[in-house]
Amino acid sequence: MREFFDKMFCLEVWGDYACFTRPEMKVERVSYDVITPSAARAIFEAIFWKPAFYWKIKKIEVLNPIKWMNLRRNEVGAVANDKSSGIYIEDNRQQRAGLFLKDVKYRIYADLVFIPPKQRKETINPLPEYLIDTEEKIDLTERELTDEHQNENPAKYNAMFERRAKKGQCFFQPYFGCREFSCFFKLVDPEKEHSTPIPETRDLGFMLYDMDYSNPDDIRPAFFRAKMENGVINVPDWESEEVRK
Amino acid sequence: MILQALYDYAQRKGDALPEDGFEDVEIKYLIKIREDGSLIDLISTIEDKKGHVYSKVPMRVARSGKTPKASLLLDNVGYILLDDLKRETFINLIENLPVELKSTREIQAVIAFYRTNKANGFDKISFCELWEECRKTTGYLSFIIDGEDEIVPQLAAVREYQRNITAAKTEGGEDNESDEIINSVCLITGEKSVISRIHSATSIIGAKSNAKLVGFQKNSGYDSYGKEQSYNAPVSIKAEAAYTKALNYLIKSKENRFRLGEDTIVFWAEKKEAEAFESSFSAFFATDFDDPDRNVREVKNLFSTINTGKLESIDSNFYVLCLSPNAARISVRFWETGKVETFAKRIKQHFDDFEIIRPSFDEKEYLTLYQILSAMALEHKIENVAPNLTGFVTQSILKGLPYPTTLQQQCIRRIRAEQNVTRERAAILKAYINRLNRQKNIKEVSVALDRTNTNKGYLLGRLFAAFEKVQQDTHPNLNATITDRFYGAASTNPVTVFTQLMRLNRHHLSSYENNGLKVIREKEIGEIMNAIDSFPAHLDLNEQSYFAIGYYHEKQSFFEKSEKNEGVN
Repeated sequence: MREFFDKMFCLEVWGDYACFTRPEMKVERVSYDVITPSAARAIFEAIFWKPAFYWKIKKIEVLNPIKWMNLRRNEVGAVANDKSSGIYIEDNRQQRAGLFLKDVKYRIYADLVFIPPKQRKETINPLPEYLIDTEEKIDLTERELTDEHQNENPAKYNAMFERRAKKGQCFFQPYFGCREFSCFFKLVDPEKEHSTPIPETRDLGFMLYDMDYSNPDDIRPAFFRAKMENGVINVPDWESEEVRK
Repeated sequence: MILQALYDYAQRKGDALPEDGFEDVEIKYLIKIREDGSLIDLISTIEDKKGHVYSKVPMRVARSGKTPKASLLLDNVGYILLDDLKRETFINLIENLPVELKSTREIQAVIAFYRTNKANGFDKISFCELWEECRKTTGYLSFIIDGEDEIVPQLAAVREYQRNITAAKTEGGEDNESDEIINSVCLITGEKSVISRIHSATSIIGAKSNAKLVGFQKNSGYDSYGKEQSYNAPVSIKAEAAYTKALNYLIKSKENRFRLGEDTIVFWAEKKEAEAFESSFSAFFATDFDDPDRNVREVKNLFSTINTGKLESIDSNFYVLCLSPNAARISVRFWETGKVETFAKRIKQHFDDFEIIRPSFDEKEYLTLYQILSAMALEHKIENVAPNLTGFVTQSILKGLPYPTTLQQQCIRRIRAEQNVTRERAAILKAYINRLNRQKNIKEVSVALDRTNTNKGYLLGRLFAAFEKVQQDTHPNLNATITDRFYGAASTNPVTVFTQLMRLNRHHLSSYENNGLKVIREKEIGEIMNAIDSFPAHLDLNEQSYFAIGYYHEKQSFFEKSEKNEGVN
């Protein structure tokens, strides 16, 4: 395995509306004041993601002043299920109001953290038992890591991401919290293009950091105390004390 | 942020908030019984459509779903009388009380009413005079023993019991529903503790009585990650109790809230030093019916405190939360935080913007929101104003933003419909234009007549008022003046009517008997006409607003002159 370091990338993202929904006011949506680390991670993942690495959000800069708007929408009050015969929207109509952000613009900084092959999560085989060839299964599990894996160069992921971000490629359109609030992105080099975050310093209270997926049966939220200093929020490490799980 | 601020407020207020596990409940009917359980009568406490509020009774339980769950010793008609299953739950709760409490004569009387002395007690309820009325009520009922002043839930022994079980519950004791105890990080305090499954109701006017700020209905698409109900938003039991207590206190208080159309606005200060501002805050927006002069006093007070710079020293945040009802849910309309000084300055700016010259018979120095909004409504009834307009205007005031365009549009529509520019309407248009102009660094409209203002709409409005005055001078008892006939056309398409108006004006001028007055009027008209080079074909909405303001200013200036003359004479 070659030596590698985690490269930091900076994306400038902007959009007309945003809703980083607070978990407690999920029904009548109220947004957080700024983008959550999990939403920022989702924007990076929309551009490029593979099980070989994960995105670690380091810093968020708020470039536009925080503006709010109120909107009441017609929504559907049921979850679609592939076993059911569909939902009649007119029977499940609900009106829900929401307090959203307007004219948002951020710079989000994230590290692309490579996961060595041995530490990667086991992928669950979706095939039913009777279709799995036992000999092949034994062969695959006992095989040593191939040369291919031995020489895996983590820098290739950095290059792939850069290429995609520069071209504007993404797997799905990135969004600000809710799918309907799509956002635009641009890869920037913070050394060359300076930005001026808003001159506000505030304590934003406990914000959702991300969800803890370590136990798939019981997925839990993790919170951290977000402090905005002159428009910059430094996001603590997942492992650190500051992230309450 | 919102829950955090409420939690901090609860901590700050401490004992001033009602004790944990107790609340003040409005009880509409009382079942009066004797010690042996026999019924005396069903009495109503309703006065003026509202029942008496009994203080410090055991808190009602939060109900959700189909399983009946009774509150202790007080509940609605279904639980106390009508529904068999619910009634059994209610009685069972009483019968399962600890022996010391159960053996008191009052509790024994209640049990006897239902069980041992049923024939004289429960069965006789339908013969009471108020039975029919009581059956249909949605209010709460409770018991009172003959000869006592306090109702049964207010008994000292009952309160003691309630205190004990509330303490046990908050330490993570078993919930009545015996669901699993979930430990998770609380999103208010950041500590790992037991999470509450259902949050208590914090109902506002217009919402159902079990309306909550934080609530997730099962199977309606609100659940995520396999979590149900309030496990979707982990809040520890302690923090939940604190913030619901604080919110209920604010909603029910007189000083910390006011209503605006459908919405309820609550506000509070972060620190004690800002309490003076907190207590005067509602006066800026709502009329206090007990003390109508309070508005004026508070505004004057505000102006003087800003000028002396006292507010800068208060380093406390101030929070304003606007809640809107939506059936069994409460949605947040807007949420503003800021330093006390910021809010004070913005409110002052609002009153400054609305300052306009007024006739001497109009004694209202400062206009309240209600007066502003009803000036734009059909028949001056506030129900005819769009409901979200009140919210938007309040937001504009609190955030220091320009007023909503709907405000200007509604106002001009009203003026055209009634052909009358009142002081409130002129003030609205002036405030709207000034806030817009401030952003673009254009000169602002003045409070009184400004003879140097060269805005086309303004000058035309002045001219129109002058023409009207001439007509009024020479023909005092007309049913319809030129305002009634021509205001609409003059303010929107001046070129079509002004030539005709000038002709009429010449005709009126020739009817003057008092030559001195005629010369004064001619001079005025001449001065205005000098500044106008041509009559435009259209005036847009902003220019129409200028027209209305110019018209109003000129009219007021005539009154002033005539008053001055009368004074001199």
